[in-house]
This record gives sequence, C-alpha cells and structure tokens, in this order.
Amino acid sequence: MPKRVTSPREVAAKESRAILRRAIRLALDTESAAVRHNTRSFNLNRYRATAALPDYDALKDEARRIKEHALVNRKALVQRLSESVTRNGGHFFFARDAQEAGQYIQGVCKRHCVRSLVKGKSMTSEEIHLNGALEHDGIRVVETDLAEFILQAADEQPSHIIAPAIHYSRERITALFRRKFQTDLPLDTGEDLTRFARERLRQDFLAADAGITGANLVSADCGSLLLVESEANIRLTCIAPPLHIALSGLEKIVPSRREFASFIELLAASATGQPLTSYTSVIRPPLAVPVVDFRGAGPATREFHLVIVDNGREALARDAQLKEALYCIRCSACLNSCANFQVLGGHGFGGATYSGGIGATWEAATTGQLKLARFSDLCTGCSRCVPQCPVRIDIPGLNVELRSRLNKSIPLSLTARAMHLLLGASPVENASAQQIFFAHYDRLARWGTLFAPLSNFFSKVPGARWFLEKSFGIDRRRHLAPFPRKTWVDISADEVTEKPDAPRGPGVLVLADVFTNYGAPERGKDALRCLRAAGVRVRLTKSLPDGRAALSQGMIDTARAQAETLSRYIAAENAAERPLLVVEPSVLAMILREYRKLLPAEAFVKLQNSTIDLVQFLARHFAEQGSDPRAVFNIRKFAPGPRVFYHAHCQQRAVSDPSITVEFLRRLGFEVTCSQVECCGMAGSFGYKKDFYDVSQAVSEELVEQWKAAESAKGPHTLLASGVSCIEQLQGATGRAVLHPVELLAKLL
Amino acid sequence: MMHNTDGQSEPVNLVSPAQQSYLDQFREQVSATGGTIEFVARSPEAVRDAVLARASSKRPILIAEPRYLSPDYFRPLRSEEGVLTHPHADDYRSAPVGVTEAFAAVARTGSVCVDIGADIAGYVSLLPRLHIVVVDAERLVFRPSDLFRLEQFARPTFHRDFVFISGPSATADMGPLVRGVHGPHELHIVVLC
Repeated sequence: MPKRVTSPREVAAKESRAILRRAIRLALDTESAAVRHNTRSFNLNRYRATAALPDYDALKDEARRIKEHALVNRKALVQRLSESVTRNGGHFFFARDAQEAGQYIQGVCKRHCVRSLVKGKSMTSEEIHLNGALEHDGIRVVETDLAEFILQAADEQPSHIIAPAIHYSRERITALFRRKFQTDLPLDTGEDLTRFARERLRQDFLAADAGITGANLVSADCGSLLLVESEANIRLTCIAPPLHIALSGLEKIVPSRREFASFIELLAASATGQPLTSYTSVIRPPLAVPVVDFRGAGPATREFHLVIVDNGREALARDAQLKEALYCIRCSACLNSCANFQVLGGHGFGGATYSGGIGATWEAATTGQLKLARFSDLCTGCSRCVPQCPVRIDIPGLNVELRSRLNKSIPLSLTARAMHLLLGASPVENASAQQIFFAHYDRLARWGTLFAPLSNFFSKVPGARWFLEKSFGIDRRRHLAPFPRKTWVDISADEVTEKPDAPRGPGVLVLADVFTNYGAPERGKDALRCLRAAGVRVRLTKSLPDGRAALSQGMIDTARAQAETLSRYIAAENAAERPLLVVEPSVLAMILREYRKLLPAEAFVKLQNSTIDLVQFLARHFAEQGSDPRAVFNIRKFAPGPRVFYHAHCQQRAVSDPSITVEFLRRLGFEVTCSQVECCGMAGSFGYKKDFYDVSQAVSEELVEQWKAAESAKGPHTLLASGVSCIEQLQGATGRAVLHPVELLAKLL
Repeated sequence: MMHNTDGQSEPVNLVSPAQQSYLDQFREQVSATGGTIEFVARSPEAVRDAVLARASSKRPILIAEPRYLSPDYFRPLRSEEGVLTHPHADDYRSAPVGVTEAFAAVARTGSVCVDIGADIAGYVSLLPRLHIVVVDAERLVFRPSDLFRLEQFARPTFHRDFVFISGPSATADMGPLVRGVHGPHELHIVVLC
C-alpha cells in the first residue's frame, strides 16, 4: 500500500497515474464535502446570472473575438503596452520565464529595501513560485486574499482558480487557525474567522513596503489594469504601500481599455454568478493619489512596475491545437460545471497551480512538462463545460489532444501491441492496453457477440474479472452487460433495406451505432418500431464505429479514420439527404460536435445538417404533420404510471436541447422530473476504470439523491436516461430498471 | 425632485418612465448586493442631513472633495463637528465613516462608480467601515458597458482610476457569506433626484 498522503503538496505535481490515484484518494477522503457544496453553489449561481444577462451569447462571441485578435497581435500589443506604462511613469518588464520574473521582482524589492509586502490573489505568482523567491530574500510575504491567507497558513497549493481554498469547510478553517495562530479568540463562525484575519491583515496592509497584484486584463493603449475582487484586499494592496508591482501573463493584454467593457459582466456572471463582484477597479498605476504615511517612514512617492510573463505562453500561442487555452479569462465556470471537479476539487483534479479541465493545458504549458498534464485523465469529455465557457474554449478537445500526446510520449507496451494485432485495429496508435480495449469496443463487441454465449460464460469464470482488472484496469465491481447473441442489425434485417410495404411517409436513415448495436439491440428495435408506428419510412445503416470510443481514449488518429469511414459511408448511402437519426447521445454529440475537428468542413456540415436525435426527430415529425402523437403513443398502456425521472445525457446537452424530449413526453401525458446534475459519473468508459471507480460513484450520489427526493415528494417514478453508460450507472446505483426514452415510447404502442 | 410629505425618501416626480424603471432596478440591485439606498432632493442641506442621519454618532467623518458634483453639495457638511477633509494617517486608521461622490451609477448591477483619482476618494471609500456615496440620479446608466461607450472614455484622462462598487466588501472564503472584510462593512447610497 502506498503511504497515506498527509499534505496536498505531496501530490500537487501529478506526474504519473500513481500520484493521481493518491491525490484522488486524498480529495475524496478529506476535501470532497466542502468542494461539493461550494462548487455546486457557484454552479447554480452562474446559471442564474448568465440567464439574466440580456446578451450572454453575443458577449461570449465578442469576448472570444477580442481574445483571438489580441493573441494574433500579441507582439505589437506588448510593445504598445510597454510604451503606455512608461508614459504613465511606470516601469515595464517582459519576463521570458518564471526565473526572470522572480529575479526582476526580487531586484525591485531589494532596491526599495522591502521588508514586508502584501499580495492580492495572483495565479501567475503561484505559477512562478514568487513567494518562495521573496521569502528567500528575507522578505515577509503576506497573502491578503482570505483564501490565500488560509492556504499560506496551511502551506497548500490552490484548489480552484477563483476560490483557492474551496476545499476548506468553516470547521476546518477554525481548526487550522487554532493550531497555526495559537489564539483563544472566538473562531467559531464565518464572522469570527473573517474578523480575526481582517484585524491581523489591516496592520500588514498599513505597514507594507510593497504590494503585489495580478490583473484580470491589461490594456495596451493606456496601461490600465482591470482588477476584479470582493474583499477589497486588492484595492488596499494597490493604494496603501508606495510600491506596486503587478504581474500578469501576456495573454491578458487587450488593445484598449474600452474592451474591458465586454468582459466585466461576463466575467462576474461566469465566475461567482453575480451581476458584478463588490469591486471592479479600472486603474492606471502609479495612482495619482498621494501616499499616506501609514508606516511612519516619512514622505514617499509612488512607483509602479508591470511584469508581463511569457513562461511558456509564447510556445502555447504557436501550438495550433492547444492555443485556445490562452483565451481563458480564469472565471472557473468549467470547474464548477464539471461533475468530477465537483467531487474532487483542484487537489485531485489539478496541478501545482492550475486546476480542472482547463488546468491541464496550463500546467503543461507553464512548466514545459507534458507529463504534468496527467490529471487531464479526469476530463471525461462530458462537454458540460463547453456551453459555459465565456470565451468558447473547447476544453474537452484540449484534453483529448493532451491525452493523445501523452499516449505518444510512452512507447507501446507488448500487451498493447498484442491487442492491436489481435483486434486487427488500424491505425496502430500509441496507447495503453486499457485505452485500446475501450477504443475498439466495436471490435471486441463483434467478437463477443459472434461467440456469445461462450464469451459471456468466460466473463463469469472465476478469476475472469480479476484478469480484466489486472490487464485492462476494468473495475471488478462494475456490472458488465452480457453480449447479445444477435445484434441490432441482425434482428432488424427487414429494416436494413426498405420493405415494399413500408410506410409512405418521409424516409429516414437510422444510424446503427455500435453501442446500441452490440449493447442494446432490443432498444434499437424499439426505436425502429416507434418510427414505423409514426408513419416514418426507415432504413437502418450498417453498424460502423463512429470514433467516440477511440477519441475518449485520446486516440485521435483512430477516431479520425473511423469518422472518415462513417462519413463516406453515409454520404454514399444518403444521396437523398434524408435525416440521419441517432439513438445513442454520445454518438450524436460526436457527429455534431467532435466531427468539426475530425472531418473536412464540407463533410462535417453535410452531416451536421442531417443528423438529429431520434426522439427529437419524432417530436418534430408530429409537429410538422400537425398530428397528435397521443394517437400513436398511448400512455394508458404503460402500467407503472405517468411519473418519470429523466436524466439527460451530458454530451447530448452540449449539442441539442433536452427540453424537446421532455416536452414531447409531457405532451404524451408524462409527469417529467429532470435531474439537475451535470453528468451521471459513468461518462462512457470512465466509470469502468479501476482508477476512477470511486470518483464515478461519488458523482452519481447527487443524481441518486435527486431521484430519491422526487420519489419521496411524489411517489414512484420510472427512471429514464438516454445514454448507454448513464443507464448502466443509474441501474447500478439504484438497483432499478432504467429505460431509454425510445424504450418507454415503444411500451406505449 | 421632492421629498414625500410623509418623510419617506421616495422619488415622486420623475423624468421619464425609462429612468423610473432604471431607478427601480438600481434600488433592487443595491439591496441585493447588501447596500442601502435613499433618495433625497438635490440640495446641500438634504445631503448633509442624509449623511448625518446615516452616520449617527460615529465620528470622525472623512470627506473626499467632489469632482463631478458641485462642491456646494458637501459645503454644509464640511462645517459640521467631527468632519474631516484633510485627514492624517491616524484619522484614516480610526475613522468609522467616509463620504465620497460617485460619477455614475449602474442600474443592472447596483453599482456606483467612484473616481479614486479624485482627491482622497481612494482612501475614504476604502478604509472606514461605513462608506456613504452621493450620486445624482441623472448619472444612472443601465450597464457597465454603457460607461465605456461614452465618447469621452477614449480620452486617457477621463476617469483615469475608478472602481465600480457593488455593495460592501464581502467574502465566502470563510464558509458562509460574510459582509465586511478589508473594505467597508456597510455601503449607503444617497441618490440626488
């Protein structure tokens, strides 16, 4: 057994799966409760605040455009900013790396004989390990953001980009302060703790020789800083000491102060979910207001230094696949909307400085070490962060790219080679045996089905699950669905080609996705029955892998090859451009979202225009025909009653509006209660992996709670979920049967 | 703008329905941020009375000279006992009340915009526990971005240093939401209309 982790610092740098596992254990054991509570409250507030923004989408487009443009023009902007700062009477320094930045700031402090300095929260200063360098020079460094104050007392790294001590409950802060500060003052409420910190820190502010802040944005035209905060510690840091040093990454520069306007409301809404936080400062240091001699050191003039840091950003800007990470405005929406982050926080799902889905790219770029992006494995690709990002960064896409590079950085193992050979999979792409196992689900399933029930018998042989766990890391506690003897395509032979007596209505093509084809053939058949009953002429495709399984393992080349094959096949089969209907939401999202990056634009747009969720097609079909779906789907045939609890698939919600399905069910007479969670926790193969089983289970708890709450309020509900893996997760967690919407509909025929 | 006869500081005659709706929204948002708000007539005496009533017996009261409002508005206040316009370091350390103007207010966010380059407003709006802000209703805009769209905003000297203040200082870092951290614990907005 590895020794127990005592401090999050020990597992901050996640260089390997082993460290990642230990960090996950630490996070689940000691930090999860506070993180769950705090991230979910941020998440709810953000949904409310962004819904109240009158032009949320337009603001996002504008913010993205400004950032794209600024990054292209970064060299000129740096030059212009340097001139502006100098013109204002400040000093400008461009630091190529962490060391240069640290040395420059150390030099400034030495010249000013700085003995103590106050700091506002700055992730960039965490990134360049500034505190250590200054303390080495004998300077007393005081973190004044209350979260950073907690972390400094505890000697821990941040666990969140805007609330760095999000993993601390009030009770744990009380215990920490008692231990650290040896005080008898009352510390039993948030007010007590705040008063205690405020009184200590007020003295530090007024006695400080220098103040260090970050910046949310910097304008090149006039050297203005945008500083967003609530505690007023940044305002004090800027104004009380005579010397102000601001530290910022080069990606924070925008052309002019006017551009701040597009970010101010967007940032507050996306971050804490407020219209604005208490203080949004727009300042152009050195401030004009005279220095008040709080220190008793005599009159002093103000001095300002702006340190712009590269530290890997320039290289990131030239990285076509990853550069969009630089648009990040550090709002944390992607962290708070991430189901895995909600149970782990940044000590599990994060590195030494940056955390969450966006954090892995940042951690790798600013350290220059790809291996430190290992925590990107915790990004399941669920895509719930995608619609939340104010600058529209494809965060799951970044993590797939990182995973692919991590795969390529490790030579293929013998087992992995054997797997490739055995499965006859091409291209031969670097990945672990586990990844190859999951990526080629279709091939495994084809063999499994071909040799069922023998293959199912093998999985029940004593030791089989042990073998799967040892060889492929498939957690033995997970239920593995048996392979069917016949696939969806097999049992729908009549439907593969159009029958002469088929309905005369509009024709559609139904995609025989591999998950439904091998995992739930009866569900597929139900889908076809529903369509036929609705008067739709159906044709079922061949079952071809769509690339989702491979992509989720970071096997981009394999995914692209599969996407191309599928796209060519559909193009040939679908000359009439009939709608392409999809039952499995992860495949739907693959085609509608991920194919944008995998296919030539023309092929993508063609598929995008024709592909639709099967139930949503039905809803549209009835609406277009002006006919009443109740004439086809009779709710009275469903004995368990009208109450259903529906969990819409995470990836599906990134590409289509789940309320269409919900409204359709309501139209049929169902009383639908929807889950309010971001993801069920299974997320394809994620929850099957031994390393992540506990995370997956922790994520599912909230979903189960919501279902129980619905039942205790209104009585029994039929459980409904749209994804193969959501259904598996819910069945495992509740012990109840879970239906796909098409299975429910088929019961009404 | 007049006071109601019953002494309630409610606006009674209004410029336009649009402005009324902005004012209503502003009032609601200020409450949501944890601030308090009152509406008074555009008169120096009304400003003095409002400030003294809110400050109660707390002294000294620090005042930053206005740059956008007429200096007349703060004149009666300046001659009151315990009101300081040129505080020393020790006054800043201990003064419980600070009064500044705001050059604009924002309806949607319940914010007031304080120019911290004007006189000593940077300190006066920050160090005392109670910050009283005086703003003219005519300076109410809908959103923060409306300010940035102003023609003058392109001029580098136009509000060189300013802050959108939306409620008292606050934190959620110590568990529950706590109002009153390193900045004011209370924010009171006096709207001239």
